[in-house]
Amino acid sequence: MSKRNVLLQVARRGGSFLSLAKKLWQHPKGRVGLILVSLLVLVAVLAPVLAPYDPYDVTQRAEKGLRPSLKHPLGTTITTGQDIFSMLIYGTRVSLMIGVSTGIILAFLGALMGVMAGYIGGFVDNLIMRVVDVLLVIPTLPLIIVLTGLLGRSYFVIVLVFVLFGWTGLARVIRSLVLVLKNSNYVKAAELAGASRWYIMTKHILPGTSHLIIMNTTLTCAGIMVAEAGLSFLGLGDPTAISWGKMLAEAQGGGALLFGAWWWILAPGAGIFLAVFSFMRIGIVMEEIFNPRMKASSGIYKLFKHLNNDYLDEVFDSMDDEEIADPPDHAGPAVLEGGHD
Amino acid sequence: MTNAVLEVRNLKVAFPAPGGVIRAVEGIDLTTKKGECVALVGESGCGKSVTALSVMKLLRTPPSVSRIDELRLDGRDLTHLPERDMERIRGKDMAMIFQDAMTALNPVMTVGKQIDEVYRRHTKLSRKQARKETVKALELVGVPEARSRADSFPHELSGGMRQRVLIALAFACMPKLIIADEPTTSLDVTIQAQVLDVLKSMQRDHDVSALLITHDLSVVANMADTVYVMYSGKIVERAAVLELFTDPWHPYTEGLLASVPRLSDDKQAFVQIPDTVPHPMHKPDGCYFHPRCSHGGPRCEQHMPRLQTLQNGRQIRCWHPLHQERVT
Amino acid sequence: MTVNGNWQHASNPLLEMEGVSVNFPVKRAYPFSKRRWIQAVTDVSLKISEGETFGIVGESGCGKSTLGNAMIGMIRPTAGAVRFQGQDLYALKPKAFKEARRSMQMIFQDPFSSLNPRFSVYDIIKEPMHIRGGASEAEMKAKVLELLKLVGLDEEDLYRNPSDFSGGQRQRIGIARAIVLNPKFLICDEPVSGLDVSVHAQIMNLLMEIQESRNLTYVFISHNLAVVKNICQNVLVMYLGKVMEAGTSDALFANPQHPYTKALLSAVLDVDVERSHDRILLEGDTPSPIDPPQGCRFWQRCPFAMNGCRTIPAELVELEDGHQIACHLVSGFPPDQTAAGLDRPVSA
Repeated sequence: MSKRNVLLQVARRGGSFLSLAKKLWQHPKGRVGLILVSLLVLVAVLAPVLAPYDPYDVTQRAEKGLRPSLKHPLGTTITTGQDIFSMLIYGTRVSLMIGVSTGIILAFLGALMGVMAGYIGGFVDNLIMRVVDVLLVIPTLPLIIVLTGLLGRSYFVIVLVFVLFGWTGLARVIRSLVLVLKNSNYVKAAELAGASRWYIMTKHILPGTSHLIIMNTTLTCAGIMVAEAGLSFLGLGDPTAISWGKMLAEAQGGGALLFGAWWWILAPGAGIFLAVFSFMRIGIVMEEIFNPRMKASSGIYKLFKHLNNDYLDEVFDSMDDEEIADPPDHAGPAVLEGGHD
Repeated sequence: MTNAVLEVRNLKVAFPAPGGVIRAVEGIDLTTKKGECVALVGESGCGKSVTALSVMKLLRTPPSVSRIDELRLDGRDLTHLPERDMERIRGKDMAMIFQDAMTALNPVMTVGKQIDEVYRRHTKLSRKQARKETVKALELVGVPEARSRADSFPHELSGGMRQRVLIALAFACMPKLIIADEPTTSLDVTIQAQVLDVLKSMQRDHDVSALLITHDLSVVANMADTVYVMYSGKIVERAAVLELFTDPWHPYTEGLLASVPRLSDDKQAFVQIPDTVPHPMHKPDGCYFHPRCSHGGPRCEQHMPRLQTLQNGRQIRCWHPLHQERVT
Repeated sequence: MTVNGNWQHASNPLLEMEGVSVNFPVKRAYPFSKRRWIQAVTDVSLKISEGETFGIVGESGCGKSTLGNAMIGMIRPTAGAVRFQGQDLYALKPKAFKEARRSMQMIFQDPFSSLNPRFSVYDIIKEPMHIRGGASEAEMKAKVLELLKLVGLDEEDLYRNPSDFSGGQRQRIGIARAIVLNPKFLICDEPVSGLDVSVHAQIMNLLMEIQESRNLTYVFISHNLAVVKNICQNVLVMYLGKVMEAGTSDALFANPQHPYTKALLSAVLDVDVERSHDRILLEGDTPSPIDPPQGCRFWQRCPFAMNGCRTIPAELVELEDGHQIACHLVSGFPPDQTAAGLDRPVSA
């Protein structure tokens, strides 16, 4: 493929992303999700700028257990004296990074497996599906605990397990879609013209699944963020990194409830909630956008709210027959009279 | 007009959409008499299915907006009837046979149970009694081994069988009016013949009035007594079936009849009507058919012809109807 | 286009099928249960001459689509041979196979699912050329524009999406795609069934024009007998995978012999209101093609079924020039079947 073609392809892909973003923006719920996610990304990227203190820097510790004040908007931790507000901001980095990167890897893996199983079929399909069945049975939590014991506590282990086990959901869903697409007449037409399997997979099948992949991935990211928070809470994540789950664990262990430092618990909880909420919003709105039947119901209500009744009356009145006198050249049967044709 | 079962006056339906309004139905009148089969013929997009749903008051606002001057069933005024009362009428006095049996039937309920439901909703029958009636209804429409078939699920039955179940459902309470929306379009030729036969005999034997919605002229020729021809939301012609087929007045009707290939023909080219139906949002000025009409004149481009009704019941909406050209 | 009436003896046919059967295995309920087969097509032989329009008629489940697919190399027959331009299609090496199939194409029934909704019209029509390779972008564009005009669309439609078009227009796009590689042989699988009646004629006329100007050979698969009668020279009537009757269009429609053909013809509702005829209504539904009945496949619904029809399969027998039929009623039982009571009607 020529360079120009590649650029055109990317432009078209990018273009479709832009148009997707535009559609999300137009939808009220989608707009909320989009804004929130952008906010989160900004916070994660600009963390050093936004956070008043660097929670990783031991020299920036303050007095332990301070209540919220102007200097420390969310107070400090009881255990180490770190500024909670800064921790909250830095925590965004961990959540988003793990959530999004794992999500993207899973998107690739799941889609690849799904398309192979669905399109190639036969033995490959059986193999992949049996692997899926086995993976679904294995309990991931004990496995993470075991591996953590072996390889030490790090996010690598968590991401590894997510990636190894998490592709099954997407693969199954993509496989179902591929089975349907495989039998489309346009695929048959391409086969008739002599298309190779590879051509059909990349030109027809894969683009046909793109909507599903994007939607599924968005929701997967949300799920991963929750899972990561939970695992960090259990102490399985990187002990040196700052994550919301770990904050919750610290808060609980450090006696936040005992001392009434509810803000220490609320902050990371709110963070988790916001992150998951925003991603899910986008995912759900995307489903509405991609599913034409659902689209009708959401867009139309808005349309009707702004409907001008006078305009409608005008439309309906224009449907009536005109009241004009019969001109001389119209020698037709008179209305409701005569007519013995 | 004491014999009238269905009376629809000035039905208008529009679908607001981004960019304009889809003018689905533009002021049509329909009447059916007792025991009469009235066909509403037109192509896809002409508004006939919307009309059927309007008669049953099944159109929701949103996405549609409709106006109607009068809707009467067997003399009873339904125009402003509240939904709760309409529910009592639907299924009992007025019933519909849909085109696609697979989507019209509940896939997780046996067909027997679905027909039982109709009886139990509208009559005071017990479960056992309702089942007896259901089996009778199934036998009536020609389902073999009705008693055991009643316990089948829709996907276990063939297409023709499912359609018969729909007919049994519709006729269960012996309604006054049956609306059949493309009842046989998705069926094979031989099955179609069977199903239409059943429908016809059910309708005739029980003196039920029928509104048949279809695009298939051959079905109309075999079943209908009166025909309304619909084009782009308007009624353009109405006639008794024999008259319509032998002496069509509207150029569209003539074109439609000519474009149907017949077994009785000798080999000839296919007669076609040029271009396509107008887009429901962007309709032409004047007569909607004039861009495709070969009989038109300057008037047709400016003014929509009025619908004229003759004493013998024929209606025509055309500035230059064909029968006049033949006379001169 | 007049073709020699006796099509079975056509010399040098463009496409020939000899004893073709296609069976599909049914997924087993559990691993060791008996394997069941869908006998989609059983023992079909035919010859199609260049330039003719060959009709295949039947209802759903009769195997006509499968037969069409087998003709162009999409489905390998379980038995029998398909010869295109003299060569056994399925015995060809991959390269020759690909080359042979270049001359074959198909027009599909459903205009809404036969075009990829994400492709532009340009992409769709140029795709076969793109796949084959060997043409520059400029050449492809020129060809696409030429075809667009041929099928009655505009240059401005080039980059639009299929969803912007009506069913009839989509079918035109499908037709343009089918002829872009200049095929010789085209299978039209119910090309107008999904369209409005007034559009049928437009599309049919377009197909006829194209055939005339490019000397194409069509196989027209349909259940619409009136259309088939109008355009086909030779017709095959199929039921449950087997040929019930075959012959020239004139002979078949003027003098149908097989009970199924007669029922099919009488079931076709005519638009001529004045002519009323006695309709032969068949009892029951089409049985499933899984493990079809022994004997004549039509016996269960045949109003004239005899005892022998239940067990003795009906073979195609030639009645008169070019007119074949598979029916015991018409041609009698094979001479080696001498059991008594064969010809007694099946008791209900």
